[in-house]
This record gives sequence, structure tokens and C-alpha cells, in this order.
Amino acid sequence: MKILWRCHVCNDIHLGNKAPEVCPTCGTRNAFVLSDMNEAIGIMGKNHPVIDTKQNVVTAWKQFSDQSPTIRLTDKIDEIELLSKGVLENLKNKGQRYCPCRITTGDRQMDLNLICPCNFLRQSVFKETGECWCGLFIKRDVK
Amino acid sequence: MSEKRLIWFHGRECPHCRKLAPMVDQFEAESGIKLERLEVWHNEENATFMRSLAGSIAPACGGDLGVPAFYNEITGKAICGQVDMEKLVAWARG
Repeated sequence: MKILWRCHVCNDIHLGNKAPEVCPTCGTRNAFVLSDMNEAIGIMGKNHPVIDTKQNVVTAWKQFSDQSPTIRLTDKIDEIELLSKGVLENLKNKGQRYCPCRITTGDRQMDLNLICPCNFLRQSVFKETGECWCGLFIKRDVK
Repeated sequence: MSEKRLIWFHGRECPHCRKLAPMVDQFEAESGIKLERLEVWHNEENATFMRSLAGSIAPACGGDLGVPAFYNEITGKAICGQVDMEKLVAWARG
């Protein structure tokens, strides 16, 4: 069944069976979360606000986590707080919500992999430990 | 010629770096060895320097540059992530 998906970075809307891996507008990977008609209508034709507050960042992370059968957001509130502050600092200083535990290369294409939630599913540390590099997202079967 | 350093690359908003800080303090107090602490997200000069060491540091961080990362200028050895005291001492001693 075709359903609506929303890129939590730039609010692109996609209708399809699967979420696109890479957002065609902003280039972010693994950024699509489940959406619905009401949300899509609310976004279309409007200047949608950028996700540039702590509350909106955490909401986007929760949506990303809720729509995944395999990963969840950490329950460590202090780490969520610190990391959301970090990605907002990076948005302000570097122009994107980069992971505060990685470091940009200066190559835009490569750095798109560092926008949180990053492409951690492919990273060796996630395969070995069941956590993204920051410990923000965790495999559901890992305690 | 400048003196070879033991460097700790860290990020101000990295939770692992915060958790490691007391252990690094303890290491310095017990060993008498001082680490050079270089913050990489708010200091571009430090970030550029870290990138120049990517060939040594990235493999230790699982393929990409990340913090916390430790680089020994004497041995060229890097360790990365949530390390324990034993690993830190071994890295410092080369």
C-alpha cells in the first residue's frame, strides 16, 4: 500500500510503498518518517518552519524511532538533551544538524551521512554494539 | 622541533566525551602525563588538524572520524570511542 512519508530534515513529502533512502531535496539519508494526509496538507503550499528547536529535534527523533521496528531512541534523558543541543549548535555553526560525536570532512556528499539520524545502520560500530556512535539510537533487542 | 604530544580530541556536546573526562583527569593525576585536549566542533583549527590525521584515527573509529579519539604523536597510534583506563594507559605508553 502506498503511504505518505515526510523528510524530517526539509519536510519533503513522498508517496510510496517505502521511504526513500536519500531525500531528493536535501540529500539526507534515512531521514523519512511516517506521515499522514493531515500533516502533508499542512506542509504543502506553506513555508514550513525549520526544525531548529530542541523540542522539534527530539520530536523528529521520536518519530524516526517510532516508525522503526528495529531501533529505538535511548531512554537516557540527559544524553538526548546534550545531543539535541549539539546538533542545534552544529546547525547554527555548520549549516546542518550534524552528529556531535562525528566530525565533518568538508565534502558535502560525505557529510550528508553525518546528519542526525545518520546512516548508522551501515556503520560497523552499530553492527558490533547495537548502538549508533553517539548511543542515541539503539537496537530494540539490546538492553 | 615541537614536542610530541598525547592528544585527546573531543566534542563539547558529545556524551561519551563528558563521561570520559573524569577518567582522563584520573589518568593525568596518577600518571603525571598531561593530555592536550582539542575540541573539534567549536574550533575549526582543531578540526582541520584532526582531519589531517584521518589516516590513523578513522580506522580506530570504525571508518569515520569521531570523538572521543586519542592520538599519540610519538607512536602514531590512535584509539577511539568509550575506552577504559587500561586501554588508555597502554595507548599512552605506546
